[in-house]
Amino acid sequence: MALEGGLAALRQSVALAEMDHVASVRASGPAAFDLVNRVTPLELYARDGQMLHTVLLDPSAQVVADAYVCRDDESWVILAEGPTAPELCDWLRSHARAGEQVAFEDLGPSHRMFSLNGPYSWELMAAWLGTGILGLPYLGFARGDGWTCFRAGKTGEYGYDLLVPRDRASALRERLSELGKGFDLAELGLAELEQGMLEAFSFNIRREGRARATPLELQLQWRISYRKESIAAASLREQRARGARERLTFVGSPERFAIGDAVTFEGRQIGKVVNAGWSEVLGTWLGTALLEVAYAYPNVDRYRVRAAAAAAGGEHPLRTLTPPAILNRSLLVNVQVHSYRTRAENDFPPLVAGR
Amino acid sequence: MDAELKAHLDRRQAVLDRVRALIVKQTGRRLEPADIDPDAPVFVSGLGLDSVDAVELTIALEVELGLPLPNDAVAVPAMRTVNTIVDAVLALPQEPGRGA
Repeated sequence: MALEGGLAALRQSVALAEMDHVASVRASGPAAFDLVNRVTPLELYARDGQMLHTVLLDPSAQVVADAYVCRDDESWVILAEGPTAPELCDWLRSHARAGEQVAFEDLGPSHRMFSLNGPYSWELMAAWLGTGILGLPYLGFARGDGWTCFRAGKTGEYGYDLLVPRDRASALRERLSELGKGFDLAELGLAELEQGMLEAFSFNIRREGRARATPLELQLQWRISYRKESIAAASLREQRARGARERLTFVGSPERFAIGDAVTFEGRQIGKVVNAGWSEVLGTWLGTALLEVAYAYPNVDRYRVRAAAAAAGGEHPLRTLTPPAILNRSLLVNVQVHSYRTRAENDFPPLVAGR
Repeated sequence: MDAELKAHLDRRQAVLDRVRALIVKQTGRRLEPADIDPDAPVFVSGLGLDSVDAVELTIALEVELGLPLPNDAVAVPAMRTVNTIVDAVLALPQEPGRGA
């Protein structure tokens, strides 16, 4: 299947996405570390210019935000999906102790965020900022003339999130568009970006995040630590001792299915779909489902999905899958060897085995 | 659950347990095996293993589970998550723990 537009760019070259759905908040002041440390369920070991990928949890260990926590000199920048920036500021403030001096700045009014994702996004970044940017490690960030570049990404491809002053955002965008002509740069909407995240089995706070499941059930244990003291620590330990009832599982079907649909085995419901979408790359419907742990394994083709909406009707076979769905080209592109200009000389395997 | 599905899932869980234990042992991470999410990335993000861990894990997978990963073309897709490693082990002609 020939990919087009933003999805083609995401998987084969470079895609540019607006990131207005990301809240960016700076916490500073004498007690900033204490507060950020208290709400971060992962050891807050980060030097200046480093970031952690975590989830912010409330005291019952429910996910509040999908967050990058970034050490910026003596302050902390939190890039969060889920709450708005004012909601995030209020939530952080609610966990400050009496007398703690922490100032919160919503960076949204003064900055915009863009994201470049794709197997050659590093090359476009180098064309814009110089080759020094190639040394920026994953989960590191660099600052320049007003901009901050975060090396991140949730699509399985090289990714750079750019926080730029709002009054220069248009000029920057034009510059990236101009440079991007040599990379077949295309724009990626939020829906397409979320499809890319789903193909990568990346947690989506707007989908899986609504399931009210625990980090253990959502396969997010790598973003928390059971040893770390935080506002969620007691609940996390309790959940771990209790064990998971369900586990997030990657699923697919040639037939359409939707969030809320029931997953069944021999007529009994064993789980529920929590994310779903059409994958252009695979030419099939993909999703995630919370399945009872006894059934939550990949490569089972005996389950079925039953539409929750009566109008949607029908029941179809559903296969559990091993994520990620795609052999991302970013895994194969070597910054020191490859270039988008000479891509035709490279014999990369297909994005999907057997295609 | 019928016997056929149970046997399939039990076999998978047995290999999953071995791979998780191997990761803990080889990398020295302060983790319980069950703390390793089966579908979380093994390298960079996720478990955050590095290139040194990769070499040690590759050797251990071959020695302990008989999984050969001779080059990047084989190793890169096989070692993305614990479950992709499990898939590769289960695809071996003589899967460990089965038959002789």
